[in-house]
Amino acid sequence: MGEQGLLLKTEEMYKSFGITKALKGVGIELRRGQILGLIGENGSGKSTLTSIVAAIQPADSGKMYLEGQPYEPSDTMEANEKGICMILQEKGTFDALTVAKNIFVGKENLFCKKGILDNRAMNRAAQEALDAVGADYIRASMPLGALNFEDRKLVEVARAMYMKPKILIVDETTTALSRNGRDILYEIMKKMKKEGKSVIFISHDIDELMEICDTLTILRDGVYIDTLEKEKFDAGMIRKLMVGREVAENYYRSDCESSKNKEVVLSMDHVSARELKDITFELHKGEILGFGGLADCGMHILGSVAFGNIEPDLGRVLAGDGSIIASPRDAMGRKIAYISKNRDQESLMVASSIRDNICCASYNKLSQGPFLWPKAQDAFVDRWAGELEIKMQGLYQYVMELSGGNKQKVALAKWLGFGADIFILDCPTRGIDIGVKSNIYALMEELRSQGKSIILISEELPEVIGMSDRTIILKDGRISGEFKREDGLTETLLIDYMV
Amino acid sequence: MSKILQKLKKTDFQTIFPFLGLIAVLIFFEVSTGGRLFTGKNLKAVLNDGLYIIIGATGYAFMFAMGILDFSIGANMAVSCAAACLAAKINPLLAIPAAILTGMILSGVLGLIHVKAHVDAFITTLAGQFIFNGLVLIVLNNSIQQAPLSMLKWFTLPLKLVILAGGLAVGYMAFEHCVYGKTCKLIGSCEEAARQTGINVGRYKMCGFLTMGAIAGLLGFISLIRTGTASSQTGSTLMMNVLNAALLGGLPMSGGPTTKFRGVIIGSLTMAFLTSGMTIMGYNVNTQQLVKGLIFLIAISISFDRKNMKVIK
Repeated sequence: MGEQGLLLKTEEMYKSFGITKALKGVGIELRRGQILGLIGENGSGKSTLTSIVAAIQPADSGKMYLEGQPYEPSDTMEANEKGICMILQEKGTFDALTVAKNIFVGKENLFCKKGILDNRAMNRAAQEALDAVGADYIRASMPLGALNFEDRKLVEVARAMYMKPKILIVDETTTALSRNGRDILYEIMKKMKKEGKSVIFISHDIDELMEICDTLTILRDGVYIDTLEKEKFDAGMIRKLMVGREVAENYYRSDCESSKNKEVVLSMDHVSARELKDITFELHKGEILGFGGLADCGMHILGSVAFGNIEPDLGRVLAGDGSIIASPRDAMGRKIAYISKNRDQESLMVASSIRDNICCASYNKLSQGPFLWPKAQDAFVDRWAGELEIKMQGLYQYVMELSGGNKQKVALAKWLGFGADIFILDCPTRGIDIGVKSNIYALMEELRSQGKSIILISEELPEVIGMSDRTIILKDGRISGEFKREDGLTETLLIDYMV
Repeated sequence: MSKILQKLKKTDFQTIFPFLGLIAVLIFFEVSTGGRLFTGKNLKAVLNDGLYIIIGATGYAFMFAMGILDFSIGANMAVSCAAACLAAKINPLLAIPAAILTGMILSGVLGLIHVKAHVDAFITTLAGQFIFNGLVLIVLNNSIQQAPLSMLKWFTLPLKLVILAGGLAVGYMAFEHCVYGKTCKLIGSCEEAARQTGINVGRYKMCGFLTMGAIAGLLGFISLIRTGTASSQTGSTLMMNVLNAALLGGLPMSGGPTTKFRGVIIGSLTMAFLTSGMTIMGYNVNTQQLVKGLIFLIAISISFDRKNMKVIK
């Protein structure tokens, strides 16, 4: 590769978080006019590397060169000025401020006259920035909180693009975007490429990366593995490089018959709660019931309501024996388990140890009277952490140090150990690498064959189609369609019911 | 040598800091009082001060673990002591239930306001402190009340030791080896996740408040039989002492799983020796408060792990 076209180069980057080594001597190269895909399992160091480039955090050691000059940014402002902007995986906006203020946060001086902020000029400039990225339907004067998650992401895109970056870093943003939002982002990337600027694109979606990127760099466990040019792209090969071993192409269920058991174990009777309107359905023993729809269709609320965590405004949630479920306690009494989409805030105590997280739902079983002895807990954790093959340094390691996939395994271990019969899983594979993903699918199949029931809520249609006995599609809080597995579902068919 | 260094590196600074603090306090006062710190007479004084601090901090530990700061315990102790004093005038034996019940009722009301009305615990207990301070003046009729002199005989060494040992044993077991203590820490770790694990968070918080109240009441009773009087100044130093003990013991302000009971003991001992050390050196109560306030600030700036908080919230 000629030094001429080289825009950014990192050498021997190291970064540790406590005992976890996130980067171990990673070097990457980015040319002008290149869309570089970064791919690797969770914990492979992609986000760490790019956030160091964007100066969100410093590296422990290593060198970076921007256009041949040493590049040592002290903060994100400096990185921005040097033309490096990043769109983050997690939310990086302020709900209480207007869209315009979010776009120009930290740059208010541009619109200040003698210390007074000219809101109108700021709104105008913000609107131009939004129009420029093709999100012209978002009004700059609106409070950001009024937008849905997808539009908020587009605001972040507009914010980044306003800086006219030489390098745009996109970190797994597309998982939060619908087709329309993705297209907007793809257009921006292509435009940047045409203008001789560069993009670093992080995604879990191999197909997406293969379509968009010119070059793919693969990381594994904080180590640089390989770089492939477009003509050598091959999904199987990439997967193998990511995981370090062969991975089966198809990890969903292979059978196409739905469960025939009609025994009801959980049901909703004309339930309305927040954006949910008049939901009625029955979950049968030994089936996987999938819920699909757009991100704000109400399906995430549905999971929470089914667990008794949100009280319905109207209607009732009933267990198989007809008793009403009105609190997580009630639900657990009926052996119902729930893992929220917001796993780290709601389903795990990330500041606690793996041991506490796995045991906490089962103290009734583990205690002797009021006492809780270490031995019983250790044995319990050994068993369930072993069952799920959680990669950890010990029982006392904090959950926050684990990768997304292993965190999800901890949450699953907690409920398996509890002995749940009904699992409500909201986006169980969100942001999780393929290795663990296929583990989770296999586990779901196994639970199903043991006669346990699963409610699978997911924004990824292939997953819902691939795993469910029955699929229910929600639209604007209402049920818009119900399908059996043998109906031969396709994404295109379901999307018609979603939008 | 290198092995020791490696071990030191592995040891969490937060774990050894409390020990270092205690040793520093012991050495400082042993030297500056010319070796009078460990005389029998002074150790008795340490026990008297330490009793309040250790028992107070034991109850406080459960609140701390849940992430609740209770600023009302000193004032609660004063009201309970006053109530015990009034009850003792009818029959000395009534003093015990009167003190404990009063403490529980006062603390229970605050707990209800926090749990049911969702008022921040910090605000609730701070308001409680002011209200109780007013209440004690009304109960005592703006004066100092005398308890029956016979009660002073109750304050014996065996009683002190029994309360101390009993409190520590129950506190340790409940905190480290019971579902109760474990659950308190889980609530402090992530309240929403605790709720979604079927934990009745409100009930645990009420339990914490009621236990804290009972302990404030017990301390009010002990103060009564130690001094024979109830005044508005009763328990005025308890709040600062207990809060300092918890911080010097390395308990994190945010609560959660790293809260350790041994921290309670070490922190309490540090504060007890600090108090009696300063008394030997002739500092009056006001100067002691000044010093303790400064220590509080220093301890909080060392122990309050902002970086960690950011990760959690």
